Amino acid sequence: MIEHDFDEDFVPIAAELQRLPYLSPSPDFADRVIAGIDRLQAPRTVAAVSASRHLELHRGGQQAVTPRRPMGVMQATGRAVAGVTLIAAAAFMFFEIDVLTAMLSAAVTQYAFAIAAVGTQVGALVLGSSAITYLQAGALQAVILYITLAVGLIAGYGAIHTAAQIAKRKAA
Amino acid sequence: MPARSYTDVSDQQVVVFAQEGREDAYRELIKRYERPVFSLIYRMVRDKETAEDLAQETFIKVLNNIDRYRPEFKFSSWLFKIANNITIDHLRRRQVDTISIEGSPDAITAERARATAVTVTSGGESPLEELESRELGAEIEKAIAKLRPEYRACIILRHVEDYSYDEIAEIVKLPLGTVKTYIHRARQELRQYLGDLR
Repeated sequence: MIEHDFDEDFVPIAAELQRLPYLSPSPDFADRVIAGIDRLQAPRTVAAVSASRHLELHRGGQQAVTPRRPMGVMQATGRAVAGVTLIAAAAFMFFEIDVLTAMLSAAVTQYAFAIAAVGTQVGALVLGSSAITYLQAGALQAVILYITLAVGLIAGYGAIHTAAQIAKRKAA
Repeated sequence: MPARSYTDVSDQQVVVFAQEGREDAYRELIKRYERPVFSLIYRMVRDKETAEDLAQETFIKVLNNIDRYRPEFKFSSWLFKIANNITIDHLRRRQVDTISIEGSPDAITAERARATAVTVTSGGESPLEELESRELGAEIEKAIAKLRPEYRACIILRHVEDYSYDEIAEIVKLPLGTVKTYIHRARQELRQYLGDLR
């Protein structure tokens, strides 16, 4: 209550002014205000994108995952050849595996890799490029693939190296 | 972040929570002041939709700049200051000046008048008291509506919101002497308009 600083004849009017009721805006007023506050909208947008991303992954990852450019058969084969050549050369230089063995192993590896590459393209035709893109986009799958290849190559060369040593001993 | 109770929490403390980005703190500030701010603006513009738009603009402006709030001032004073600025700017642009609490003067149909009329919150009185209060309140509302907008803001802040002259001067950005003059003249005019009430 404010102290009187007016004439007595204004007292009843002042009393009525103090009794004036508050007026209410629409029930959704607060929601509309909140929708206009930038700071609150930014996290919501991120959350919405995150939820959308999660939902899209469930739908097959066609839109949520940034699609990688599919690797072509020639490119895959080229990389396989280069990789196998380097490994074969290193094996020959350091482990004294003869060229024929190295070439055969390279050819086998090359052949297997080419089949994998062709299989990818066939899979793309059967399953759809989006499914293959989704598979290729998965980093985990890629890591597993590379580890499998590395382990396979190391194991293969180990076996070949052992066989060569045994053959050398027998020849000697 | 779980919603917390803000009972017995001061405005300044709620503002701190709002500055941390808590939505429930923003909602609490809106809940505390939506009716006073909307009432002030409505009594100045006399149109529900316009008052809602201006009140919304006020809250959005204040809450988007909540980091600029200085705790040495009352939050409500800052809020009313922004509300008054926005409303005065609007009135200067549109020269809205009407007297009907039953709806906008622009309402040319009964439906439009109902749509622009405001909801008056009951104070828990008996039906007769409520009717009398409503009649007296309506007379006061009409009398306030006849005042100049600058007078309206000052008289409402003084007699409805109980602000001191200094606080009103800060809110309406006018010299203290001008505020006192406005309130004195507003009282005189209200006396004239409400002669039968005394």
